[in-house]
Amino acid sequence: MGLFDALNVSASGLTAERMRMDVTAENLANAQTTRTAAGGPYRRKEVVLAQQADGTNGFGAQLRTAMGGAGGPGSGGGGVEVAGIAEDASEGKRVYDPGHPDADGEGYVTMPNVDTVTEMVDLISASRAYEANVTAMQASKQMFTKTLDILR
Amino acid sequence: MLIDTTQIALERAIEGTTARNTALASNLANAETPGYQRVDVDFHGALAAAMGGGEGRLESVSFAAQPDGTAQTRADGSSVDVDSESAKLAENALEHQATVQVARARLNIIEIAIGKR
Repeated sequence: MGLFDALNVSASGLTAERMRMDVTAENLANAQTTRTAAGGPYRRKEVVLAQQADGTNGFGAQLRTAMGGAGGPGSGGGGVEVAGIAEDASEGKRVYDPGHPDADGEGYVTMPNVDTVTEMVDLISASRAYEANVTAMQASKQMFTKTLDILR
Repeated sequence: MLIDTTQIALERAIEGTTARNTALASNLANAETPGYQRVDVDFHGALAAAMGGGEGRLESVSFAAQPDGTAQTRADGSSVDVDSESAKLAENALEHQATVQVARARLNIIEIAIGKR
């Protein structure tokens, strides 16, 4: 475990949470979209997060392994990564609107399966998680500065 | 001895707080990861065991992040409580600062003794 691993871990959290906010924004923007390239209404997307394995690449990790010391790969918690963006398979709401160009024979339009309230909650959750990672990053930075004070 | 056991213990404690900081940061990064189990570094326990273990044990002590099985698991399988992680992070940072200051103060004493200042 190197001195700056904590910063990388927090940075991976920032990337993941920003991705969640991006996808939530896309869902909100397409809350009324009834046409997509794949056909049919827009389907809600969701970010799948996964724990990042400890890095075995990079100079620091290789050196620690070669020296056989503690703190080689696998000794610390890893960061987080976006494993993929999944589509929500649930059915969209059917709205009666016979004048709509995408209405079916009975006059119903299938709307996207996006619930704006759920998206707003997701957005707040991602935003708060982002802030938590920023705080962790600041704490790590202050710790490193303190450690360097020994040299003075 | 110029660098005594206490000084080595302090330096290992600094290493321990740094390792714990990384573990707590990775808990916060994985706060929304389904199925993630929080990790922690028990460097206090490792240091206490090493100090009772005689000559040379302190130098070879290692700090590895261990999964914390006692934490409450949420419905999504993650066991991270952002509030408690933030509190632990702040506590750990203060402990780090205290350890660094004591280590620095002890080095100052040596510097005065050897007439560096």
